[in-house]
Amino acid sequence: MPKILVVDDAMFMRAMLKKLLTEAGFDIAGEAENGRVAVDLYQELKPDLVMMDITMPEMDGLTALKEIVKLDPAAKVVMCTALGQERSVMEAMNAGAKDYILKPFNAEKVVEVLKNASG
Amino acid sequence: MKAEFINPFVTAGIKVLESVINARPESGQLAVRSAAFTTQQASIVIGVTGAVEGQAIYGMSLVTATKIAAAMSSMPAMTFDEMASSAIAELGNMISGHATTLLSEAGYECQITPPTLVRGTEVEIATSTPALVIPLYTDFGKMEINVALMETGEKTATAPAGGTEEQEASDA
Repeated sequence: MPKILVVDDAMFMRAMLKKLLTEAGFDIAGEAENGRVAVDLYQELKPDLVMMDITMPEMDGLTALKEIVKLDPAAKVVMCTALGQERSVMEAMNAGAKDYILKPFNAEKVVEVLKNASG
Repeated sequence: MKAEFINPFVTAGIKVLESVINARPESGQLAVRSAAFTTQQASIVIGVTGAVEGQAIYGMSLVTATKIAAAMSSMPAMTFDEMASSAIAELGNMISGHATTLLSEAGYECQITPPTLVRGTEVEIATSTPALVIPLYTDFGKMEINVALMETGEKTATAPAGGTEEQEASDA
């Protein structure tokens, strides 16, 4: 099954996502609490997928997305955020995000999006 | 501060709480609070920058915060530990994210900071502008939404800010 790197500054959200994704059959490659750690872990762990929050300290998710895509143009990053502004969505998709999930999310929808993104 | 700025936070608060605790909260009476006020037992503080700037603060009792965190975690009960604190902080993040989306749709493009959880009833928070306050009554107790925002002059459109089905407050 695809290995996923879970990126969110909220410990609670990382725990919820890891539980949800593990129950759906995904492997958890690792977790990161901000974009800077996410970029470092991406290089180290080489996950199949990244689930990326946007509003985070140190480095936000949009900046981290761009860094990861610069390192690996084939990177599969799905944004998972409370920010639904059209500008944020467009910036993420133009930067190479594969999809964009709004919080609070529907668990089935998350699994469907990730399975599509990993395909 | 314009009363229309609190409506998106009330709309978002109702929508997000309904989603995470499976029960629709009721909004209460709008009030004005001076620029400095004492927090509730658990308060989530989120900064807003952009076309409007200031803070959104969500305050509640520890009992309410613990119950909401347990509901978010799908647990029958929990203590207000690090995980519960993180859950409540994420609640503030989700409400603020949705609220700023509504503000952006109304022409006030803005961003939010990561949340900060403040605990303790003797903590005074000073805002740069008086806050508008609306309580949301949930099955787990009251959550106060305090919004202290000032327009910075970067508005790009003139559509009304969100909150059509919730309380529409007249200018304070």
